[in-house]
Amino acid sequence: MINAMMALGLNFITGVANQFSLGSAGFIALGAYTSAVLTKEFFHAWYLIPLTALIGASVSGLAGYLVSIPSFRLKGDYLAIVTMGFAEIVRVIFLNWNYVGAARGYNGIMKWPDFSWAYFVTGSFLILTFTILYHLKISCFGRNLWALNEDEIAAEVMGTPVARSKRTAFMISSFFSGLAGAMYAHHLGYISPGSFGFLMTVNVLIISVLGGLGSMSGSVIAAAILTALPEVLRSLPTGDIDIRMIVFPILLILMMILRPQGLFGRKEIWDTK
Amino acid sequence: MSDFANNIKNTALLEIKNLNLSFGGIKAVQNVSFDLKENELLGLIGPNGAGKTTVFNMISGFYRADSGDILFQSKNVVKKINDLKPDAVNKIGIARTFQNIRLFGQLSVLDNVQLALQQRAPIAWFDSIFRTKKYLQTELDLKNESLELLKIFSLDVLSNEKASQLSYGLQRKLEIVRALATKPKLLILDEPAAGMNQTETDDLKKLILFIKDHFNLTVLLIEHDMKFVMSICERIVVLNRGEKIADGTPTEIKKNNSVIEAYLGKRSVANV
Ligand SMILES: Nc1ncnc2c1ncn2[C@@H]1O[C@H](COP(=O)(O)OP(=O)(O)O)[C@@H](O)[C@H]1O
Ligand SMILES: [Mg+2]
Repeated sequence: MINAMMALGLNFITGVANQFSLGSAGFIALGAYTSAVLTKEFFHAWYLIPLTALIGASVSGLAGYLVSIPSFRLKGDYLAIVTMGFAEIVRVIFLNWNYVGAARGYNGIMKWPDFSWAYFVTGSFLILTFTILYHLKISCFGRNLWALNEDEIAAEVMGTPVARSKRTAFMISSFFSGLAGAMYAHHLGYISPGSFGFLMTVNVLIISVLGGLGSMSGSVIAAAILTALPEVLRSLPTGDIDIRMIVFPILLILMMILRPQGLFGRKEIWDTK
Repeated sequence: MSDFANNIKNTALLEIKNLNLSFGGIKAVQNVSFDLKENELLGLIGPNGAGKTTVFNMISGFYRADSGDILFQSKNVVKKINDLKPDAVNKIGIARTFQNIRLFGQLSVLDNVQLALQQRAPIAWFDSIFRTKKYLQTELDLKNESLELLKIFSLDVLSNEKASQLSYGLQRKLEIVRALATKPKLLILDEPAAGMNQTETDDLKKLILFIKDHFNLTVLLIEHDMKFVMSICERIVVLNRGEKIADGTPTEIKKNNSVIEAYLGKRSVANV
């Protein structure tokens, strides 16, 4: 569920608006640390986690907005580099910040009282994320993004506020990445800068691409598959070899060859045409 | 008051004054001036590389002129629009098409038009996220208005097709319809007949004359095909190597020596 939320956040900016961001881990980390610190140091109550999670998401959203202002003066690959740099800066800050445990990580984060609460709240946030992003995707705002996705110059000539739409989309995407980060922190109870490295971004990106860039339901389904698959493979009697490391890449390569547009392309699972 | 209003009636809808633009060492546009009266259909012609598209790009906000003024009359006020961004130029009432078609190929025909139309009726996020009554109503209105517009051009039957799936001629047509959907006062068309066969060109001619009347438009048409422009424009401005060399009615232009030279000169080079 958390993976799905992370992927949805990225998919909105990269799939719908075609702005290739590599900063997911940074925004996820901001949401995670913010919510973790707020519950541990200030609120001390698990039922306030939804509130702190939303605050964490807002911090991410704000950071996303600030990053987007200079970034969208640049086009294409530059955005990927800037966002990647941003994620690295965030990671290095947490790595050196003693208040949040620096390299040792941040321990004893407020957790859910039991599994059903964890599932209920995380699930609700996933549904919320999905619904909002899907509605935005098919709205007028989404149409602006699809248009600039294909041809920024033509979109601008039609009166689309291209720069502003991109900034807004980036802010929304960062907000939901941050929300996913908060869910991640409270699920594990422990976070460290090491978990928010580039590998996390790559994971999130793989889910988005596999589900189909621009397909919200695709992201959710791909997240489910990619989360379940290692568990299934682990149960295979393969002796000492870690078969996951073989099956996983083969699966990805097959996918690239057979369906380069991902499981659903930009459509949703229920779209007929 | 009435004096003032009269005064404004006489001024041009679009006025280009001493426009200059260089790319590095190339003087793409030199000291070009012309104007466009309301409801006029003006042709801007010249051999390839004459600077026509560059003038267009300055009007529509993509290039900033090195010097000179672009004045546009909007709501009875004359505004200098040199420094406006493309989306602001569109908002003020100028729409354009491109020499190389630039549709949103993966979007449906309907979406292409609706995108242009919706810029006039921005919807708040709140309404989009919660799909409020107001939102759904606005979407429905936009859709119906788009379909109506498409119907005028018999494109409504193709509204669900991807734009990239249309024939070349229809893509040109759709690009014009999309520009019209932004409700412009001035429509500028960059070589709309390029790559078209004779029947398509004839249809296009009718189409341009029809929309000019039906939507009460002023049209600025770029072409390098003299024959096409001669047959529909009331007045023609000729550019050559970035400079204006003539300005007049088709008959005047046909007799103009420097125009003949510019075109023939090019042909003799091509023949070598
Ligand atoms: N972006 C640009 N950078 C450099 N030179 C350009 C650019 N755009 C146009 N030019 C040059 O300006 C001149 C006029 O080009 P253009 O306006 O496209 O001509 P036309 O549309 O009349 O065929 C040409 O010499 C062209 O090479
Ligand atoms: Mg040109």
